Amino acid sequence: MMFDLKEISKRLLELNVSKVEQLTKEAINFGIPAQKILKEGLIPGMEQVGVLFKDGEIYIPEVLVAAKAMKSAMSLLQPLFNKESMKYLGKVAIVTVEGDLHDIGKNLVILMMQGIGFEVIDLGIDQPSEKIVEFVKQTDIQILGLSALLTTTMPKLRETIDALITAGVRERVKIMVGGAPVTQKYATEIGADAYAPNAGAAAEKAKTLIGYA
Amino acid sequence: MTGKERILKALQVQEPDLIPMMELMIDKKVKDAILPNSTYEEFMDYLDMDAAVVVDRTVEKFEALDEAKGIVRDQWGTIRQFGKEATSHPIQSAIQSEKDLDSYNPPDPDLEFRYGVLKSFVKRFKGHRAVVASVTDVFTICQAIRGTEQYFIDYIENPSLVDRLNEIVLKYNLKYIRNCLEIGADVIVISGDYAANEEPMMSPRHFKRYIFPPLKAMVSEVKNRGSYCIKHTDGNIWKLFDMIVESGIDGIHPLEPVAGMDIGEVKKKYGDRLCLMGNIDCGYTLSWGTLEEVRKEVKECIQRAAPGGGHIVASSNSIHSSVNPQNFLEMIKATREYGKYPLSV
Repeated sequence: MMFDLKEISKRLLELNVSKVEQLTKEAINFGIPAQKILKEGLIPGMEQVGVLFKDGEIYIPEVLVAAKAMKSAMSLLQPLFNKESMKYLGKVAIVTVEGDLHDIGKNLVILMMQGIGFEVIDLGIDQPSEKIVEFVKQTDIQILGLSALLTTTMPKLRETIDALITAGVRERVKIMVGGAPVTQKYATEIGADAYAPNAGAAAEKAKTLIGYA
Repeated sequence: MTGKERILKALQVQEPDLIPMMELMIDKKVKDAILPNSTYEEFMDYLDMDAAVVVDRTVEKFEALDEAKGIVRDQWGTIRQFGKEATSHPIQSAIQSEKDLDSYNPPDPDLEFRYGVLKSFVKRFKGHRAVVASVTDVFTICQAIRGTEQYFIDYIENPSLVDRLNEIVLKYNLKYIRNCLEIGADVIVISGDYAANEEPMMSPRHFKRYIFPPLKAMVSEVKNRGSYCIKHTDGNIWKLFDMIVESGIDGIHPLEPVAGMDIGEVKKKYGDRLCLMGNIDCGYTLSWGTLEEVRKEVKECIQRAAPGGGHIVASSNSIHSSVNPQNFLEMIKATREYGKYPLSV
C-alpha cells in the first residue's frame, strides 16, 4: 500500500493541524524519508497557501493556522534531519531597518518562506546598516529581505543598500524590500532586486530570485 | 459657521459654508516647526482647525518595568517596548491562555486621569471647534491583550475565547464612550486598522462574526446619545465596506490612496450616506512633494469628494514626523481656497 503524501497537503489546506501531525507520524512510520515528506507532503500545501493568500482567497488567520500545522509537522521531522540531508531551497535573512509598530507582516513573510522550503534567519528590528553590512560579509545568505513600516523609516532602506554597495558586498545578495509604505517604484529607485506587496508574493518572488520557476 | 457646525454638517452629509479640516494626530516635530513651544490647543487655535482631537488615553498610564530599555506594562496588562517613534510595540501579551481570562482584571473606565485632556478641550473649544474623542476598536485592543498572531489563530481554534475577550473589552469601551459624551465630546472616532494595503487582515466572514457586532454596539452607543461617529481604518477595506457602513457610522477615515481607496469611487458608492474624511497622501505628497503637488491633490480631492457636502479634508493617515510643515500649511491654505461652498472648482 502506497502512502499518499498529497493527503498531508490536503489536510494542511483544510487547516487541520492534528490531522497533519497524525499523517506526518504515519508517513515517518512508513519509512518515507523526512526530506520527501517535507518536499512532497508539506511544501506543496504551503505553496498553495501562499498563492491563495496572495490572491485574497484566504487571510491572515488561515495562513497562521496553516503555518502552525507546518511547524508542528516540522518538529516531528526535525530529529530525522541532520545538517547534511536537510536540503533547503536557499538561505534568506529578514530584517526591519528601523523601528517597529507590529511585526505581523514580516512574520508572515518568514512563515511563508520557511513554509516553501527556505532557511530563514530573523535579524529582528531596528538594525543599523553597519550591522546588516557586517552580517552580509560574514554569512552565505542568498537573499536579504528589508522591511520598513513607516514613511519616516523608508529612507533607511536606501541607506542600507548604499552601505552594502560602499562595502563592496552588494553583489553577494539579492535584495527584496517590503512594508506598508514601500512601492515597486521606490524599490526600483533605490536599487532593490525585488519588491513584494504581501507574504505570499514575497515567497514566490524569492524562489524566482534564486533561479527556480 | 463655527468649526463645530462645519464638522457636524459634513457628518450629516450636508454642505456647510466651507469644507472643514481635521487631523487625528499631528507630530510634535511638525507643530514645533510651525509654532515653536506651543501646546496642542494653542496650535489648533493658530491653525483655526475645525476640530480638536483627544487620543484614547486608555493605555497611556504605563507601569515602568525597565526604564532604560523603555519597557512598560499598559493598562490592559500587555508588556510593551518604546522605540524611537512615539508609539510602542507589544512584546508580551496579557492573556496567555483562556484560563487567564478567569482571573483577568480589565482597566477601570471611570478613572479620572483618562478624561483630563478631554475636559480641558471641552472648556477651551466647546461650541467653537468640534471636540473629538478617540476610542480604540475592540479588535485592536484584543490583539494587544492576546498577541496579534495568537488572536488571529483564536478566530479559527478558539471562538469562545474571542467572544469572552470581546465582551470584556466592549464593556470598557461602551462606558468610556458614554463618559466622553457626558463630558462634552461632540464626535467619537473609533480607531483601529482592519486591513493592509491590498486586503483586509481577516475574511469578511470572520469580520462579520467577530468584529462587526462590537463595532455596531459601539456605534449604536454613540448614535443613541445623539452624537456622531467616525470609523478610522487604514488599508483596503472594500470587501468590508458594506458591513462597516451598516454599523451606522457617520464618517470614514482616511481612505488611503496607496491601498486602493479612491475617494471618488467611495463617494459614488456611499457618498449619499457617508461623510468622507481624507485623503491627501502623507506618504509622498505631504512629506516629499512640492507645494504645487499639494495644491493639485487638494483640488482634485475636493472635486471628487466634496460635492453635496459630506467631506472633511484630512491627510491619508496623520501629520507624522516626516511631513513637511510647509506642505501641511499649504494643504490648509488650499482647502480654504478651493473649499468654499457653493463649490467653484
